[in-house]
Amino acid sequence: MAELKIVGTSVSRKDAVEKVTGMAEFIEDRYMGPMLYAKMKKSTVAHGKIKSIDTTRALKHPGVKAVLTGKDYPNLIGLYLIDRSFLAVEKVRFWGEPVAVVAATTEKAAAEAVELIEVEYEELPGVFDPREGMKPDAPLIHEDLANYEIVPIFYPKAGTNIANHFKIRKGDINKGFEEADLIIERDYYVPQMQHVPIETHKAAVQWSPDGKLTVWSTAQSPNVVRQLLSKSLDIPMHKIRVISSYIGGGFGCKAGASIEGLLVPIAQKFPGHIVRIVFTREEDMQGTFTRQALYSKLKTGVRKDRRITSLQYKMIWDGGAYTEYGVNIVRAAGYSSTGAYDIPNVKTDSYCVYTNNSIGGPVRGFGMCEMQWGIERQLEVIARELDMDPLEVRLINGMKKGSSTASGQVVHDLDYDKCLKVVADKIGWGKKESNRNGKYRGKGIAGLVKCPAQPSNAASSAIIRINEDGTAHVMIGATEMGQGMLTAISQIAAETLHIPVDKIDIKVPDTDFTPYEWQSVGSRITYTCGTSVKRAAEDALGQIYRVAADLLETPEEDLSFDGKNIFSTNNSDKKATIREVADSCKKCTGEGIAGPIIGRGSFVPTNMTNLDPETGQGNPGLFYCFGATGVEVEVDPETGVVTVLQLACSIDAGKAVNPQLCTAQLHGGTIMGLSTALYEEVCFDKGIMLNRNFTDYKIATIDNTPHMDSFIIETPETHGPYGARGIGEQPMIGVAPAIANAVCNALGVEFNTFPLTPERVWQAVKDKK
Amino acid sequence: MLSYDYIKCADLNLAFQELEEGEQVYPLAGGTDLIVGMRGGKFAAKTLIDIKDVPELNVLKEDDQGITIGAAITLNEVTGFTPVRENVPILAEGCHSVGSYSIRNRATIAGNICNASPAADTAAPLYALDAVINIAGSGGNRSIPIKEFFIGPGKTALNKGELVQSVLIRKPYPKGKGIYLKASRTGSVDLATVGVAVQRWGDQVKIAIGAVAATPVRAFSVEKAVNEAGEKRWADAARLVHEDISPITDLRGSREYRYHMVEVLVRRGLEQTMGV
Amino acid sequence: MTEKMPVNFTVNGDKEEREAVVGQTLLKFIRDELHLTGAKEGCEIGECGACIVLLDGKPVNSCLILAVELDGKDLVTIEGLSKNGELDRVQKAFIKHAAFQCGYCTPGMILSARALLERKPNPTDEDINQALSGNLCRCGAYQEIREAIKASSEK
Repeated sequence: MAELKIVGTSVSRKDAVEKVTGMAEFIEDRYMGPMLYAKMKKSTVAHGKIKSIDTTRALKHPGVKAVLTGKDYPNLIGLYLIDRSFLAVEKVRFWGEPVAVVAATTEKAAAEAVELIEVEYEELPGVFDPREGMKPDAPLIHEDLANYEIVPIFYPKAGTNIANHFKIRKGDINKGFEEADLIIERDYYVPQMQHVPIETHKAAVQWSPDGKLTVWSTAQSPNVVRQLLSKSLDIPMHKIRVISSYIGGGFGCKAGASIEGLLVPIAQKFPGHIVRIVFTREEDMQGTFTRQALYSKLKTGVRKDRRITSLQYKMIWDGGAYTEYGVNIVRAAGYSSTGAYDIPNVKTDSYCVYTNNSIGGPVRGFGMCEMQWGIERQLEVIARELDMDPLEVRLINGMKKGSSTASGQVVHDLDYDKCLKVVADKIGWGKKESNRNGKYRGKGIAGLVKCPAQPSNAASSAIIRINEDGTAHVMIGATEMGQGMLTAISQIAAETLHIPVDKIDIKVPDTDFTPYEWQSVGSRITYTCGTSVKRAAEDALGQIYRVAADLLETPEEDLSFDGKNIFSTNNSDKKATIREVADSCKKCTGEGIAGPIIGRGSFVPTNMTNLDPETGQGNPGLFYCFGATGVEVEVDPETGVVTVLQLACSIDAGKAVNPQLCTAQLHGGTIMGLSTALYEEVCFDKGIMLNRNFTDYKIATIDNTPHMDSFIIETPETHGPYGARGIGEQPMIGVAPAIANAVCNALGVEFNTFPLTPERVWQAVKDKK
Repeated sequence: MLSYDYIKCADLNLAFQELEEGEQVYPLAGGTDLIVGMRGGKFAAKTLIDIKDVPELNVLKEDDQGITIGAAITLNEVTGFTPVRENVPILAEGCHSVGSYSIRNRATIAGNICNASPAADTAAPLYALDAVINIAGSGGNRSIPIKEFFIGPGKTALNKGELVQSVLIRKPYPKGKGIYLKASRTGSVDLATVGVAVQRWGDQVKIAIGAVAATPVRAFSVEKAVNEAGEKRWADAARLVHEDISPITDLRGSREYRYHMVEVLVRRGLEQTMGV
Repeated sequence: MTEKMPVNFTVNGDKEEREAVVGQTLLKFIRDELHLTGAKEGCEIGECGACIVLLDGKPVNSCLILAVELDGKDLVTIEGLSKNGELDRVQKAFIKHAAFQCGYCTPGMILSARALLERKPNPTDEDINQALSGNLCRCGAYQEIREAIKASSEK
């Protein structure tokens, strides 16, 4: 590979000046036109039949233009399992589920009218624990499960609350346990958390009299929004335009399609008006995806030589009231269920179970934080039982080139050992720090792995327009929600086109103008969109050479381009500026050679397969990204307060397209992980979410943030653009188990759940006594 | 958006009149609790009287009486006031524990106590300092000790037509160290799971605790043991605090954890103020 | 009920005479009436700091202030920080250190930082932590933010 000039450098963010000056446009920042404001009426029971909805008084309220209920939304929506309606029809399945929507000329009128809607429910027995929900006599939440449309890689059980049962059968589990000298069994629990991006969910919709629908949304995935709206509302795609401005944080909650469709029937009644909805913080916490809670049981067999022979992993996920997206998290956790370790015999059963809690859905890590919590805690227990070094257990069993995952996919491009060793070195692994002032110190380590969880044909595309002066517009459908995608993608384009990155313009997506991107999720954009852009740039560059060859009457293979001039490597007189080539090139005779140069590139994975329905064997991973976290803590056993003294994180990025932004992701994911490890838990009481604001749902602040040391490892991804792979979610995965392992080592206790709140740690110390 | 009247008031008597005659009239100073409470439906205000510019409420002074903190003085102003820092640093600690820096640029000590949350971070220090609340109203002025000001969660001794004019920390100031120890879920901007104020007064101690009862409470059992019986084993003294408190379980902590934490923080407070 | 009241104030150096609706928060007024949309809404209860602006030079949560309270005050929003197209040094440092990701909390974050540097030209880590603990950044750019603020202080 030629020496890279732009990829691998820390150029400033493309969105930098806009974002530090307040000019960056988020969707609520623009005046759009005559406005109607929408507000939702929400269910006051977690599970119940809707006996009646009386909207009479609300409709008469001054300023109110429309009040809609479930009957106005005949079709269901969903990404994988089509089980959700925009408004509840006939029954409600979680507390706070929207049952009606009001549109009014002011937000105040809309809010007042919502209070005037009267809804009568007949409350039904609820399911709040998926383990109970799995039982045959549990109250049924979706009576129509058997009739729902579903992508045929998921396996719901009709007549039950099980929305998906994913299985791994690899090797011979019994033989594996027979070979083992030690068998460890533990139960684990991971509670729900919330993404809480500082920007809540927002959408605005306009219906023009000619039947064109325009949607502005905080959506991470405008193309999916367009596709799902087209299907559920029966509008052809060319009549739907979806625009995602800058997004004030996504972390998964703005994936799929969420609130946009709710507004469309209103907009259709008032052509030309903009109908807008802005979620309050409370609505955002309670009404959008939560991270699914996970109840799990691990049984691990280990030989004395420290090799793990077998793993039996049972996962029961709290899918919440609708699992349109959640079924795939359950699947991803299933096919990745050995974590970063090579285990020959595996039996996994991963169940997605409907409950009457808030809707489960994607969160940074897509099941990996929850699933690998069990793996990484279990390894610690194993190490202690065998009196071995936890790092060594990880190094011995960790995946290496040629290892196979739970689904039997062979991994090639990784250096997991190095990921572990750098963080271990950094925190002084093996050096026991003495306890001081009645406080206990401990170190912990955890590894991590994740591949994008996406359909095997999730595609991507890019267009590059070369301007007359040789500058370029890169057009893509990926969204910018902070991850730095615009910058990294520009760098890939600039590198390939041999032009400086500041000669590239790139914008957030607008489906009328930017080409298809499946979703900005799964840490996939650098790889998928990056590959598309690289191909588009190569296409454009090829055209530049072809045109120049014609113009200069020189064979293409003799030409070179330095960003300004295309010249013959044999004859320095044969030279044309990029301007001459790009600006409707003509010969000296005046005869035209070529019009504007437009490069195109697209991508679809060719290395992924379906999985066997019985064994789960196959290739679900586009690429696998490994990393590790190392932590030193100090614990006050009296108060239970955990202080993180050292925090080191590593990621095998393949190639860091922009090392500074890669590090920023590493830090950001690590802080989110720390926040969940120590503070975050959504509390429910029979489906009612109790901590729905920042007063009682606490996330890490700057003074909770210790200094972090980060390490980028670069084992090139063979098919990634310039060797890069995605890293956005991964840094979060190892943090909770690493912190817990450190606390466990400090105190000599076991934690099977988190967050490690002061009270929980104190309780563990007390129970040990 | 809520509907109510707003009256900017520069004259205390006008404020009394509004408070006396109006229905659901609330004085507005920093607004950091009031506006949150109105949004959440806790307060149904029909009129807000903005009292920030009333001269009598903008007093921040030290004189022969002690330190007077007017109702419109922000927490950051209290924290930055040299006589407070030098003589009653425990109060600065309590004020500093409320919210974030930007909140403390608006929030006032009077607002913190008028909200009457048992967890109010300024309350326990004020209890331990035997602060006096100067109340003004159309019917005249009166002064009551802080412990009579708190009546229950959200309830104060203010009568209709009255407002807090100032908080007074009387001279003589306590001799000896005072400390406010707060347990919370994150250790950052957070409400107190429990808050313990321990103030040495020469060879005596006063201890006050927040978030463990319907109002902040004094730990009289502990004080008695230390001050009267001469208990020097701080752990033993601290154990007595269980008799002074009756915490509940909520999102911030269980009853058991609160009992435990109060004991730990009282002991630590005694160690740090009365000597190990 | 008085629906609107006159408010006279300066915003980013310019004198303004407006009317404010009673009951409207300062945040809504800044965004909807002044059309300065840098200040963001994130929680409406003063917990997140995305709406922080400088009022008489001090950082305050504009979601907890009424628009009518603006009368007689000096307001600075993120839009007023750069002068004649020249970015403030804190803004430059935020760019250099990649001290933001999604950018939603950034206006509030930068204004809190700016006010800190006025009070303490050479803040320690602890000073920064104290001053910015009311500015939530879910992207977790805190370490970069500390670095950016320290870099701005070294001049």
